[in-house]
Amino acid sequence: MNKTINFAKRNFKELLRDPLMYVFCLGFPIAMLFLFFFINKYSGGNTPTFEVKSLTPGIIVFSYSFIMLTLALIVSKDRQTFFLKRLYSSPMKDYDFILGYAIVGFIIGILQTIICLLTAFIIALISKVEFIALPNVLLLFVTNLPILILNICLGILFGTAFNDKSAPGICSIFISLSGILGGCWMPLETMGGFETFCKFLPFYPSVYLGRITSGATNALKVLYKFDGYAVVAITTIFVYMIASVILTIFTFKKNMVSDK
Amino acid sequence: MSIISINNLTKDYKTTRALKGVSLEIEQGKLFGLLGVNGAGKTTLIKILCGLTKKTSGTITVNGLNLDSDINSIKQIIDVSPQETAVATNLTVLENLEFFANIYNSCDKEYLNNIINTFGLSGVLNQTAKTLSGGYKRRLSIAIALISKPKILFLDEPTLGLDVFARRELWKIIENLKGKITIILTSHYLEEIENLCDEVAILSKGEVLKTGTVEDIKAQTNTQTFEDAFIKVVKDYE
Ligand SMILES: Nc1ncnc2c1ncn2[C@@H]1O[C@H](COP(=O)(O)OP(=O)(O)O)[C@@H](O)[C@H]1O
Ligand SMILES: [Mg+2]
Repeated sequence: MNKTINFAKRNFKELLRDPLMYVFCLGFPIAMLFLFFFINKYSGGNTPTFEVKSLTPGIIVFSYSFIMLTLALIVSKDRQTFFLKRLYSSPMKDYDFILGYAIVGFIIGILQTIICLLTAFIIALISKVEFIALPNVLLLFVTNLPILILNICLGILFGTAFNDKSAPGICSIFISLSGILGGCWMPLETMGGFETFCKFLPFYPSVYLGRITSGATNALKVLYKFDGYAVVAITTIFVYMIASVILTIFTFKKNMVSDK
Repeated sequence: MSIISINNLTKDYKTTRALKGVSLEIEQGKLFGLLGVNGAGKTTLIKILCGLTKKTSGTITVNGLNLDSDINSIKQIIDVSPQETAVATNLTVLENLEFFANIYNSCDKEYLNNIINTFGLSGVLNQTAKTLSGGYKRRLSIAIALISKPKILFLDEPTLGLDVFARRELWKIIENLKGKITIILTSHYLEEIENLCDEVAILSKGEVLKTGTVEDIKAQTNTQTFEDAFIKVVKDYE
């Protein structure tokens, strides 16, 4: 465990000294929250999807995809500079590496969630609307855990499987998918067949569960509640999460001793 | 006594055969040089010995341990400074050293200070690795490799891309390590091998063409300079 923590510390320092991290993991979520707040405000203020309670869970889920990018960048760079290979000739084990990256992704994820919530709280104050109740705020951290773990795994996976030139490209596809198919700013519930499709990808179920937790209303002015779909959503996101964990461990073990 | 025995080692990459039946005996405490032009197979050999790449066939024992079955025990007694400098770029020199010291649970402050002095790193301790010059990056990389107090140290092209001054400085440092541990150094610089190594293997296109001291090889090839000897060995083979 000492080796894991030691490696996590190094990864954390490495990321904290990278300006890109702040742009992606802090700048983007804050900017998005304000952007949609202003769009809503100056377009008459009657887009339910852009209301604080609805928008916040969406942006939190979306912002986790930047953690995927950040991790993919550091892992692929560590491979490219041979740093990982060198560590691999030390007595560090596979789980030290994977957990060492994952812990850092997890910490950044929690910080990011806090920052999103604080920003949303300020927006709620400014626009004089009710904010998410405190117990539900805390519950949001739990609801978001599976999608956070999924993004962490995908980040490590892409960093392991692709080089530092192609990993960002692959990640940006996923970031776009997460934004569009998560229904973060698009009212998927009005889109029939497309919504059904999104329901079986990992993003929308996470946003849906987040909105149940925050007590949001959807575009059809119906309150999100723990309905039959919520059960399907939990199942769906767990299947993706477990699959990503297994795939990541497998790919990492395989690639570390390959000729690549 | 041999600390490393390599017997009929081959390595096939997807399209090329990088090592074609290499056999070598490396004696304990020696500074052993692997000399060869780019693409000869030096890095491949080092990677296999460190457990970073799988061999295709052949047997290897390191310190009496079988590479196939005892790689984890072998990892405890070896360390490597790879051809790429491979340090944590956003960490300072000191943070890099401490990070690697923690991996080996070695909290021997005196030894760490010793290394810092040997490698002349005290002036750059708080500088991030990415801001170091090539020479200092190499020094840091080799210093890191010594933190685990390895019995066997692999230095892959330690002076690649350095200017003559930085190279001479590094030679002095490597010279200082001689005799204390077994060092396997690869290089394509003849004068580096000639200046530093107790024993040499000339590697070309994945085969060992000759082994011995620099003097032996000169005598055997009937040449005056090591450069002539090297060219003769490689040309004769072709
Ligand atoms: N990962 C790899 N995949 C395929 N071929 C490789 C790989 N690494 C090295 N080679 C090939 O193996 C041969 C030996 O390379 P290398 O061991 O790097 O030589 P050296 O270190 O002596 O310059 C070269 O022909 C090189 O192109
Ligand atoms: Mg090489």
